[in-house]
Amino acid sequence: MKSIYLSRYKIFFFLLPVFFGCRKFVTVPSPVTSINGGNVYTADQTATAVLTGIYAQLSNSGGISSLGADATSVFAGLSADEFSFYGGASVNFLQEYQYYTNSLISNTPGSDGQWGATYPLIYTVNAAIAGLNASTTLTSAVKQQLLGEAYFMRAFFYFYLVNEYGAVPLVLTTTYTTNALLPRASKALVWQQVIADLKVAEAQLSSNFLDVTLLASSPERVRPSKWAAAALLARAYLYTQDYPDAEKESTELISNTSLFSLSPVNTAFLRAGLGNNEAIWQWQPVNSMQNTTDAQVFILPSSGPDNVNYPIYLNPGLVSSFESGDLRKTNWTGNVTVGGTTYYYPYKYKINDDTTVVNEYYMVFRLGEQYLIRAEARAEQTETPGSLADLDAIRSRAGLPAYGGATDQASLLAAIWQERRVELFSEWGHRWFDLKRTGTVNAVMGVVTPEKGGTWNPDWQYYPVPLQELKLNPELTQNAGY
Amino acid sequence: MNLNTYCCCRHFKPLPRKWLLVMKLTTFLLLACMMTVSAATKAQQVTINLKNASLETLFTQLEKQTGYDFVYDEQLIQNAKTITLKLSDVSLDQVLTTVLQAQPLTYILEGKVVTIKQKESNFLDKFKSAIGLDKIDVTGKIVGDDNQPLSGATVTLKGANNSTITDAKGLFTLKSIDPNATLIVSYIGYEKTIISAKADLGTIKLKVTDNKLDEVQVIAYGQTSERLNTGDVTTITAKSIGDQPVQNPLLALEGQVPGLFINQQSGLPGSGVQLTLQGQNSIYNSSDPFYVVDGVPYSSELLPNLGVILGTSGAGVGVISQNGNPLNFLNPSDIESISVLRDADATAIYGSRAANGAILIITKKGKAGQVQANVSLQQGWGQVTRMLDLLNTPQYLQMRRQALANDGLTGPASTDYDINGTWDTTRYTNWQKLLIGNTAYYSNFNGSVSGGGNNTSYLVSATYRDQTTVFPGQSADQSGAVHFNLNSSSPNEKFHIQLTGNYQTDDNRLPLYDLTNAAISLPPDAPPIYNKNGTLNWMPNSSGSSTWANPLAILTTGYTNKTENLIADMVLSYEILTGLKLNGNFGYNDLRSAELVTTPLISFAPEQRSFLQRNSVFGNNDINSWTVEPQLNYQKHIYKGTLDLLAGLSAEQSNSTVQQIAATGFNSDNVLGDIASAATLTSAGSQIATYKYIAVFGRLNYNWEDKYLIDMTARRDGSSRFGADNQFHDFWAIGAGWIFSNEKAIKDGLPFLSYGKLRSSYGTTGSDQIGDYQYISLYNPIVQQVPYQGGTAIQPSSLANPYIQWEQTNKLDFGLDLGFLKDRVLINATYFRNRSSNQLLGYNLPIQTGFPNILENFPATVQNSGWEFSLTSTNIKTRDFKWTTSFNLTIPENKLLAFPDLASSAYAQALVIGQPITIYKVFHYLGVNPQTGLYQFASAGGGATSNPNPSTDQTYEVNRAPKFYGGLSSSFTYKKFELDLLFAFTKRLGPSYQFGDLPGGIDYNQPVSVLESWEKPGDVKPVQRFSSEYNNVSQYYDLLSSDGGFQDASYIRLKNCSLYWSLPDVWVRKCGLRNGRLFINGQNLLTITRYSGLDPETLNVNGLPTLKVLMVGINAGF
Repeated sequence: MKSIYLSRYKIFFFLLPVFFGCRKFVTVPSPVTSINGGNVYTADQTATAVLTGIYAQLSNSGGISSLGADATSVFAGLSADEFSFYGGASVNFLQEYQYYTNSLISNTPGSDGQWGATYPLIYTVNAAIAGLNASTTLTSAVKQQLLGEAYFMRAFFYFYLVNEYGAVPLVLTTTYTTNALLPRASKALVWQQVIADLKVAEAQLSSNFLDVTLLASSPERVRPSKWAAAALLARAYLYTQDYPDAEKESTELISNTSLFSLSPVNTAFLRAGLGNNEAIWQWQPVNSMQNTTDAQVFILPSSGPDNVNYPIYLNPGLVSSFESGDLRKTNWTGNVTVGGTTYYYPYKYKINDDTTVVNEYYMVFRLGEQYLIRAEARAEQTETPGSLADLDAIRSRAGLPAYGGATDQASLLAAIWQERRVELFSEWGHRWFDLKRTGTVNAVMGVVTPEKGGTWNPDWQYYPVPLQELKLNPELTQNAGY
Repeated sequence: MNLNTYCCCRHFKPLPRKWLLVMKLTTFLLLACMMTVSAATKAQQVTINLKNASLETLFTQLEKQTGYDFVYDEQLIQNAKTITLKLSDVSLDQVLTTVLQAQPLTYILEGKVVTIKQKESNFLDKFKSAIGLDKIDVTGKIVGDDNQPLSGATVTLKGANNSTITDAKGLFTLKSIDPNATLIVSYIGYEKTIISAKADLGTIKLKVTDNKLDEVQVIAYGQTSERLNTGDVTTITAKSIGDQPVQNPLLALEGQVPGLFINQQSGLPGSGVQLTLQGQNSIYNSSDPFYVVDGVPYSSELLPNLGVILGTSGAGVGVISQNGNPLNFLNPSDIESISVLRDADATAIYGSRAANGAILIITKKGKAGQVQANVSLQQGWGQVTRMLDLLNTPQYLQMRRQALANDGLTGPASTDYDINGTWDTTRYTNWQKLLIGNTAYYSNFNGSVSGGGNNTSYLVSATYRDQTTVFPGQSADQSGAVHFNLNSSSPNEKFHIQLTGNYQTDDNRLPLYDLTNAAISLPPDAPPIYNKNGTLNWMPNSSGSSTWANPLAILTTGYTNKTENLIADMVLSYEILTGLKLNGNFGYNDLRSAELVTTPLISFAPEQRSFLQRNSVFGNNDINSWTVEPQLNYQKHIYKGTLDLLAGLSAEQSNSTVQQIAATGFNSDNVLGDIASAATLTSAGSQIATYKYIAVFGRLNYNWEDKYLIDMTARRDGSSRFGADNQFHDFWAIGAGWIFSNEKAIKDGLPFLSYGKLRSSYGTTGSDQIGDYQYISLYNPIVQQVPYQGGTAIQPSSLANPYIQWEQTNKLDFGLDLGFLKDRVLINATYFRNRSSNQLLGYNLPIQTGFPNILENFPATVQNSGWEFSLTSTNIKTRDFKWTTSFNLTIPENKLLAFPDLASSAYAQALVIGQPITIYKVFHYLGVNPQTGLYQFASAGGGATSNPNPSTDQTYEVNRAPKFYGGLSSSFTYKKFELDLLFAFTKRLGPSYQFGDLPGGIDYNQPVSVLESWEKPGDVKPVQRFSSEYNNVSQYYDLLSSDGGFQDASYIRLKNCSLYWSLPDVWVRKCGLRNGRLFINGQNLLTITRYSGLDPETLNVNGLPTLKVLMVGINAGF
């Protein structure tokens, strides 16, 4: 019997350590493929990588519902009178066609648009703000710059949301329990937040253009700087009719001639590193062998537009609104004639073939817009000479004579808006937003939409809240007209 | 007794109320089988005509005629006188009384057993018996049919409280028992054997049972039989798996297991398989059962992979549905049995992982004996089960032109190449026939050798399989598998070792995308595939742009998946004492795949080749896991029953790795498979995760005289998938069974009832199938081809929830089993009710939170309940002809029981309390408005509208879960022939295809049903006006989100039809074979359905339907 007891002991000994080792056994280290929320904001490199991640994603997404440059430019441009859409509806471009004919519906498959693309990035920004504020181990210059970048990006995202959707939920934290049930904040509140964030950003951000270490300067201007914050702030003040402040912010940029100057039209979209001082903020392309997707989307092949790959070309109305001799028409548009019809296309970005030479970066903010912001802000304050000087600076760069029309406030403003149309076309939906903020949208679209094959309804200046979101958040309301 | 007696109960004394209830419950099933049972088993009237025969001869004849067992000591009847007898149509009693009168013998008839005994003798004998002087010690050895000792067999003294179990050598001793006693030997999987006692019984060989109730059922950490099981388990054996030419063994279960609903995702080799066991427990996650292969836990999902063509596994909409299915890499012909465990009693011992049931797969084991070799060669052909009835060219053109006319347009747009003259409108191509109408070829070769001596047995087998697709071109799946099993024991039989290995290598070569979509959508007048010079025709227009996407360009792309799967398992066991065993189970699984996706330049339209790049993606996935499970097993006869105790530990670690690399910059299409030829390599994703798991568990099982059964299990689990505070949790279950047919009152009162069991179980199980590291907030790298500023980029991967806990499912189960006519008719009815609460769900969130969902314990309760019925009967059994049928039916019901604050939650629009979680909220479809020609729907305020509001007007519900499903199988054996049929059926709804895909507006072909379209005011037609301009798009999409967008997708499918012919013995001998068999197997040969889409099984409009396959083959044994 002795041997039996021994066996039982053996078993007991065998089992014992496993019982006590249980808790230890089921504890696994964090995965080697991931940084986690606990340590990401403790080191300069990983904290920087979060913000860099946002720019990389933005630059990378040339896709349909992204906030990539061409997505905003394409959708807002289609909604306005900038683009024509070739071949009517096709199954490849159902959503684009709905933007084009101002007939979006809330449940088109894949129609979560900018709403769906932007909020995840806002989460990242909010997480970064919280994490950076709590961090005690970052180099202080790095921490300050990253905080500035985060506040700036939040303002940037809400700027586009409020312009496209009107009132939107104003999410400023990462607490999903409260965020999930946030209703839409009024447009005024969103604007207020945009401006507040930009003021913080302007104070925090470096006045140098930084490299990825955030401690040294870079010849490129691909990270937000104090100047990017000022540029967006100037625009935000203009949109909110705070003209003195708009003038003040744009002056900051225009007067800093050591950093910024208007480039000749043919070099205005090159990367800053090639000496393009027009650039305030650009995005570096991140796809191999590629310059901008804008060039790939807009530049038509010799076969002209089609409904498979190249459905977009410039609205003839826009083309005919260029004055004769405008260098922008000759340099910033291209054309192709097929079957007796000439199709114009945006040609600001010129490199659309595969190449390892990347000379064009996405232009997000540039000095040309700042002149036009100041011209308009001054006109609104009836500082006519200053306004004319700014307008003419832009006209002169385009090879046009000084403005010779009427200089009463209404005429001058109309001239500035026309100048914006031909200066900023195909960039970032400027035209669509201008039509809305200047109150001309119903007059213009009432004519243009029927030409495009739709019927205009004033409610449709705001895009629909995606149906999916309405279902998931009972506090959300739909925009009128959908 | 005669047949009438079975059918009506009026001859019986009044029954207790509960019996009447029980009988009511099963009356309809009973009636069904009564109709078919032949009169061959009529009453026990016998006819005897013997001359000078031995008693043994008489007993043998009586056994044959009555089916009763005769039990006697051979010595006892050796000295009996011979008999001469001529009796016809007399009762058994009469015969025995007549014959034994003249002998010193008497008999006792108990149940179906006749025991022959010595007549009560003189006073001295009685006295000896009374004081116990004549008691003997009985010893014996119990062996199985392969002469291997059976350890743990129960030997019971009949009618007394005396019982023992055999030791490792199969030996047993029963001390001081009556020399006239009768012993009953029982062992799972063998016929219960009755022997008369004597001092040395020698070796007693048990016969493998042919009663379905007594066949071995593999359960968690053990085995039992259907008769004695307290849990809800179905076991499918090699026979019915082997009948079916399937690549994935799960597909062989379709229609055979109550409660198990299986859907193949496409007819391609390696495709995904969606499977739910007793319904969907999770509102969000997939509900995969827990798989165990030879004791080794096996993945229920593959790792993230590149095989988009394969379709996903997992029935949920959640985060862990991946392409393909891991069970595709397990060779069906190496499988001995598959057990499907459903209720808490069967699954709770798997604790946290079996909330969705468990599926145990056991591979074939070696058998001692002469060396036996088996060879099986099969060859087959497959085609799609169904094609759609699509428009021909004139109908198509008519539709397109009608659309133009409806929109008031005078002519087609310049891009409407199909009707504007660019394409030849007199052409007609049957694209379905061209693209998915080819024949797939199947080959399957298998060889195995088994044998062994006293202490060692082995099995080795090898299989080669080759399967092509119905696409044009060279797509094919080839696989090779080897399987081995080695068993050995020490000379004293106390120590056993069993080593099992399964290795399969699979090479699946498919295009990147399924051609089915092109096959049903390409216009019938689309251009020819090839130019005259044999190159792909892109049909350029006048300016050189391609006017269509040539479908065969897809075939120039490639998806290659090379997978290797190794499952190795070693079981060591040592018998410390009789009844006390220490087992160690050591398992290892390595499932690794190398994938390659190639997109050559020639797959792009020529004008795009200047700016699109040929590219490849390389993927390497690996899941390796090991498991160690020491267990202690104790078996003891206590009082009138057998006690089984099990205690064990389970530790598991699983490491998974995913690496995907995108490659561009190749200078030729020919080198896309060579990573070194790429100019640029970028990471396309990586995942490295470790999962650890530990548990202690115990089980107590007590079987009181095969009458009362009780089973209790408990388990404490720890998983690395949870935060530190919530890593451990307890699970338990209790199950009880009452075999009331073994009660004397029932035996006497309901003699036609050969088996009756009531069982019930209740317990808790859980789920940790949520993916790794969900409790921490992870930042994952962003793949950048050209790093932004040369730096790294990361992003948060999900919302973290450090408080997540185990999900819990409480399972309640009642079962009634009845056997009639000596178990020739078996009926089972089971009611189950599973309530899942505290669920771990990806809680859908509005995107304004940053993510579409978060993993959270969910304060909702989902109930899956339902009835499962099965009926097995041997309808006819004569010497030459046997007909058996088996039927099962599952009627599931899913219901959302509770959901606090549903109205204000994110699920307000998706769920309704009291309704299934599988509903869609939809508009109510009201047909086409005869005036406008547009689809219209009921509006919430009453009336009809063609512009319904999704927020308020989606007031109807459509349930996508099946209403009922099941199967009917029948097997006919006549002499050397055997015919097996298996029908599977399902009643459910599916997305309707009769309204086409935006008919008229786009250059897509449509089903002929769209021709019934509205054309002018006043028309009453089922299809709305064709439009060329997308004016009616919203009505079309609203239709798809209305009840009109769904239709009955029920089907009955002849899943399998097999015909076997065993070669005549003469031939077999001449060829030097042991046996030989020719066979034809047909899979999915017949489908009866009214569904308008391609396949009611896949319900996938754009996926390849399941194939019908015909295989011919030969089996030979040497």
